[in-house]
Amino acid sequence: MITELVIGHADARLVAQAILDAAGTKNKPIAVAVVDNRGDVVYFTRQDGTSAVDVRNAERKAYTAAFIGRDTALWRQQIAHDGRTVADWSDANTTTLHGGWTLRRQSQVIGGIGVAGTGDEDRDEQLALKGAEAAAQLSVDEWLTKRDPRIIRDR
Amino acid sequence: MFQRESIGIEEAEKARDAILGALTNTDNPIALVIADDRGVPVLLYREDGAPARMLRRARAKAYTSANLGANTVDFRDNEIKAKNRTLNDWGDPMITSLQGGIAIRNNGNVVGGISMSGNTTIRDEALAQIGLDAMGLK
Repeated sequence: MITELVIGHADARLVAQAILDAAGTKNKPIAVAVVDNRGDVVYFTRQDGTSAVDVRNAERKAYTAAFIGRDTALWRQQIAHDGRTVADWSDANTTTLHGGWTLRRQSQVIGGIGVAGTGDEDRDEQLALKGAEAAAQLSVDEWLTKRDPRIIRDR
Repeated sequence: MFQRESIGIEEAEKARDAILGALTNTDNPIALVIADDRGVPVLLYREDGAPARMLRRARAKAYTSANLGANTVDFRDNEIKAKNRTLNDWGDPMITSLQGGIAIRNNGNVVGGISMSGNTTIRDEALAQIGLDAMGLK
């Protein structure tokens, strides 16, 4: 038997909220998707005024980040370096639009984040990273509750 | 020129919270979809343990309700069964006749669709109705 780590919906909601908080109201309205390790949506939300294209692309970015296991910006560089295109994967859900971020724990992919809508793919990526940071903080908090509470002394 | 009305994230979150509050220990993990007047998702929600296919079904239900302006169970009974048609007649792979999708209306206009999957289709519809009621539309 094998077991795999997967992002749950409670964490997914926190990640999405962190992104919306970071986005504020300065950007154009954004769509945020958080998917599990297979690329299936766990949580999706959007700000009022988001276009249908942004809704789709937020999901595609998150899907790509989780399914391919690469942040979408990095993946674009990688396939360009290898002389390939997205079409080589025969999967209409994959994209190299920046703003897809892979979530990992213990060297495993546990999910993906996708942000779309700001009109600037690098801004989308910055916002996705805010979500990844929030997810990392969750893991740090969990570790703090489990670690040996004794003070580490100087040796 | 004319204006179309659609639900926004505010109504969607009201519905989400009402449905989550109404779940009991006997309910399975659920998938919830709230879509705008075109059937495009405003909020998707899949609980831990709810298979991905549940969200896929729920998407189809919300899309159908919003685009046809009908509850999926009424669509099944009145448009499919009663007239001896099949889903293929609509030529749209997102159209479904599974119960559990409800059209969201405001002042008589369709402004979205809400749907659930995870439980029996009757329970799915009852939960979706709780979400619809919480939106406080006219």
